[in-house]
Amino acid sequence: MLLKNTWNEFIKILSKPRSYLGVGALTLLIGIIIFAMKADGKSIISFVTASFEQTLTFNGHILNGYLIAFIILQMLIVHVPLLVALVTGDLIAGEAAMGTIRMLATKPISRTNIVLSKFIAGAAYTLFIIIWMGFLALFVSTNLFGTGDVIVLNSDGLVILPEADVLWRFGAGFCVAFLSLLTVSSLSICLSAFAENSIGPIVATMSVIILFTIIGSLDVTVFDTIKPYLFTTHMVSWRSFFEDPVPWSTIRQSVIILVAHNVVLVAIAIVRFNKKDITS
Amino acid sequence: MIKIAQLLLLLALPLLSSAQSVDDIVSKVLTKLNSVKDYKVSATIKANIPMIKILPNEATIYFKQKDKFKVESKGITILPKQGFTDINNFLAKKDYIAVINDTVTTGGVKTYLISVIPNSAGGEMILAKLWIDPERSVIMKSQITTKSNGTVTTSYTYGDQVKYGLPSKMVFEIDIKKFKLPKSVASDINKSSAEKKKKIGNKGTINITLTDYQVNKGLSDSIFK
Repeated sequence: MLLKNTWNEFIKILSKPRSYLGVGALTLLIGIIIFAMKADGKSIISFVTASFEQTLTFNGHILNGYLIAFIILQMLIVHVPLLVALVTGDLIAGEAAMGTIRMLATKPISRTNIVLSKFIAGAAYTLFIIIWMGFLALFVSTNLFGTGDVIVLNSDGLVILPEADVLWRFGAGFCVAFLSLLTVSSLSICLSAFAENSIGPIVATMSVIILFTIIGSLDVTVFDTIKPYLFTTHMVSWRSFFEDPVPWSTIRQSVIILVAHNVVLVAIAIVRFNKKDITS
Repeated sequence: MIKIAQLLLLLALPLLSSAQSVDDIVSKVLTKLNSVKDYKVSATIKANIPMIKILPNEATIYFKQKDKFKVESKGITILPKQGFTDINNFLAKKDYIAVINDTVTTGGVKTYLISVIPNSAGGEMILAKLWIDPERSVIMKSQITTKSNGTVTTSYTYGDQVKYGLPSKMVFEIDIKKFKLPKSVASDINKSSAEKKKKIGNKGTINITLTDYQVNKGLSDSIFK
């Protein structure tokens, strides 16, 4: 019954125009980034390497598809949560707003399973978004720009990763990025269980992400103690796969915290939905 | 500044006595370097720079007189901006004052430490210090200070191609104090402020091992396009 209901939920997602809005926006954004890179990519790269190039010269195929895929992932991972929340924030609250929640509750399935099926359907949509993003970022970029070593800039300096050592990092990075977006999906589903219309959970989800991101980016020692527990801190953990050596313990910690967030948020949504008054 | 340095060097000239005049020594080095019309060489590049992590890489280096230089590599390679052709070009202009400062043993070889100062202040070069082996007429070590790129020290080891003055190994020591990361791109919210402030060194080295020289084989200009 859970799987059947999950499939129904997925059909509902597919039937809503807003689901395609996210995919369309993502396609357009990636298209714009690729166009910008094709038109003026070298000057964008030199912005990063400028201070090094006073003393050093970088030789080789720097502006390649892998680097562009990395740039796309870095640029969009901040914005994709909105596209995810746009759909998942509507999953429970949308039913309440349309008045279909009562009919849904009459089905021979527990309320817990209803929430779980919505969570799984939301996860499937999130996975689709990530796969689509990965396809556009990697497949299209590498076809247009070719492949090569990847220059990654982090707070410690430049890391230059050999071409042969890059694909698995993207695979693992996309997996952690999926887990990050799944946390956004869980948050919006959780908030959706408290709301009667879908706008509230979507806006609230984005507000939480913005607030946590600002706290995380403020270089103030007083926030250092809470930063490790904010899920937004770990949303950029996919980048850790592009460090050398890979900080496995940091990644493991991020995965644990993101999974914990998902479990807690879905649990709250289940508890709230089980207690929700759907008769009035 | 340059004029004062030139004056001091001129005053010191009579004090310096050596078997060969400084112009002879530099001229012999230049003659040797100029005997190379072009070359192609395989290079193994190992960079050990505090703010850059890169694995050793293979490249092919092409050079053709007077200043054509190209590096071909499968992956990304890092080379110092100066050090390959700068000395040749600078010495070839003969618009400088050279003076022997001292005799120094470098890499087990007795060398003359020669300071070379440009006559005009308009160029990029401020000062070049050359440790020259007078027996083989090769540069064993150089320290070039330029206006925009700071100071680069290079040590040379010679092998089969010593007759052309071409090294088999070069070790560049570069100053990384000028390296700055763009904050907007480099921000990493995963790192605490304490972690971000950790100290890094001021010097980096690039080791280049050069093998399979093909000298004066007549490289085409199209290679450098």
